[in-house]
Amino acid sequence: MNTITKRKLTNVIMDLGRSWALIFLIVELVFFSLAAKGFLSLRVFQMVFFFGVTVFLLGVAELFVIITGGIDLSVGYIVGFASIISSRFVALFLQTGMSTLPALLLGIFLTLAIGLLPGLVSGLLIAKLRVPPFIATFSMLGITHGVSELLILNGAVNMPKLSTLFGNGYFLYWAPGPGLSLFVRPEIPRGGFILELIPNIVVVAFVVIGILSFMLKRTVFGQYTYAIGGNVDAAIRSGINVSRHTVKIYMLSSFLASLTGIIYVMMYVKGKGDAGASNLLDSIAAVVIGGASLYGGKGTVWRTILGALIIAILETGLRVMGIPTFDKYIIVGIILISAVLIDKIFPDKTYMDTKE
Amino acid sequence: MTHTLSETIQGNRKLAFIARNWAAFFLLGFLILFSFTGKGFLSVTNFQNVGHLAVIAILMASAETFVIITSGIDLSIGFVMGFSSVTAGKIIQILYAAGGGISPGISIAIGIVIVLILSLIPGLVSGVLIARYKVPPFIATMGMWGITNGIALKICKGFPVATLPEVLTRIGNGYIIYIKPGGGISFFSLPHGVGNESIREYIRLIPYSFIFVGLILLVLWHLLRNTTFGQHTYAIGGNEEAAVRAGINVKLHLVKIYILSSFIAGLAGIFNVFQTGIGNFTPFGAMYELFAVSAVVIGGASLMGGKGSIFGSVIGVFLIAFLENGLLISGVVPFYRFIAVGLLLIIAVVIDQLFPDLL
Repeated sequence: MNTITKRKLTNVIMDLGRSWALIFLIVELVFFSLAAKGFLSLRVFQMVFFFGVTVFLLGVAELFVIITGGIDLSVGYIVGFASIISSRFVALFLQTGMSTLPALLLGIFLTLAIGLLPGLVSGLLIAKLRVPPFIATFSMLGITHGVSELLILNGAVNMPKLSTLFGNGYFLYWAPGPGLSLFVRPEIPRGGFILELIPNIVVVAFVVIGILSFMLKRTVFGQYTYAIGGNVDAAIRSGINVSRHTVKIYMLSSFLASLTGIIYVMMYVKGKGDAGASNLLDSIAAVVIGGASLYGGKGTVWRTILGALIIAILETGLRVMGIPTFDKYIIVGIILISAVLIDKIFPDKTYMDTKE
Repeated sequence: MTHTLSETIQGNRKLAFIARNWAAFFLLGFLILFSFTGKGFLSVTNFQNVGHLAVIAILMASAETFVIITSGIDLSIGFVMGFSSVTAGKIIQILYAAGGGISPGISIAIGIVIVLILSLIPGLVSGVLIARYKVPPFIATMGMWGITNGIALKICKGFPVATLPEVLTRIGNGYIIYIKPGGGISFFSLPHGVGNESIREYIRLIPYSFIFVGLILLVLWHLLRNTTFGQHTYAIGGNEEAAVRAGINVKLHLVKIYILSSFIAGLAGIFNVFQTGIGNFTPFGAMYELFAVSAVVIGGASLMGGKGSIFGSVIGVFLIAFLENGLLISGVVPFYRFIAVGLLLIIAVVIDQLFPDLL
């Protein structure tokens, strides 16, 4: 074999290695399709995305933070905090005699506004007082957790039916007879055939994720984010207001977490203090599987979603097979560690690679 | 502005001393405050209870102290503890139920030995990943968190492991001295023939758990303070490259540190079995590792490494423990403790910023 084909071969192997996550996803899909009876169906895939929404959104929140070289431990409990205060607000507005839709919208708006606060505080602590992100966000975890538990001491408040309908509804319905309809489930006889496509919350999540992907890839905001993670000193010298941008990043993460909280309460009617607590491992794992480095400067939104999908399909697949989800933790742990090791074997393309 | 402020404060040695030991002064302040606000706070019984319940947190924090001094972090200890507790429970349960001449004592001893050996494994794995393969400690130990948690849940199938020998809790919650007011004194257990129902009539002093944790702390304190092992630990955290040049086998030492941390978590799991009489898995919201990190940071360590002490970490644990207990006794809703820990952490790091160097 001459050197050129050899080099081409190494390049192919390197490219395959770099996209190991995608290959893993495909292998996973094939495996579950063969091993789990009933896995290959529209319903199961909708469930993958429906229950995956939390990790998609939290993963992207974590991605922005991780690209800057930080970490946000508080997202899980901000989800709970937002789920509780949003239902509180909505109930409060309904009591004053407001009709459901405006009460709902106003409640969501206020929750999203308040949801910026934990991020603002931890961002300021990190940027101005040089508190390590781990500590600053853990202190916010404690504070939001404490406050949300205090708020539901006398029981959680139910969200109105409209929100639950939206949270568990679908974007598109089709039934023989009434035909296609958006948002509203057509009246059909019991047991009749109806096609439900794309859960509403998945649509919401992916619109947000699409915007964020655009922000990270094509805007100055995204450029600054990568610049800070790549080399803080260089970022400062090139005139980026690093501390201000850092605050913004943590606010964005906190905002996404509260959005997740609102989606949570729309799905499950009631808020819960530890609603997103168990998703911290999954969301950080999604980011790392998606090729980001905890040292910062690397990562993209779609690869994070790929990482989150790997976890979501794993969980759903195991459920369909009837295996207790305990195995999921073990497998996610192994994938998480392997991800870092594989990324070390197949480092990113350098300038020299692209020139060839 | 802040610079000059910190300089002036640093010039004042008394103030600097207070600031560097702020956690101890806070602890003292809380103790005085709660003695007034909480009925029964200032009593031997209450202090013993706080100490007894803090044993696991103390072990966790001292494990985390070693890791944090090397500028690492170990997120797996909470779940290694659950793994150890569940596995010990399961082994003891099987041997105990098997009967056939295996006395409770022997089955417990076998359980402890096996689990202590097993608990070295998570630390070995994450240590090798961190030292040899340069996986960030956060990720390596987070991976072990998932793996040990999954294995623990598989072993116990999601339920605590119960029906263990009753002698466990008798040791785990036993005291050295029992005094009946006006009725005499007995050592190591209630006087013969006295049932557990009349235990409240006795004044109980010095729980076994104090001896257990005291001995471990003494060993760890000595290890960190007076041995080359401790010196190397600080050296790696202070400046890893300098440590390499000074001829320290940094990789091997880091592996040892994570094994030690995992081993202490294993000990905590065994203590947990003795304390509760069942094998418990660690629930997600428990956050043992995060509270341990908080205690260590409150106790004066820095996540950047090179700083920290066993004594400081224990003060950190007691600050959190007494705060929780005092608030509870004073009739404040327990959830405030999360908020309080959050605020304490912020104070800790801000003070650390103002007084960067130890005297």
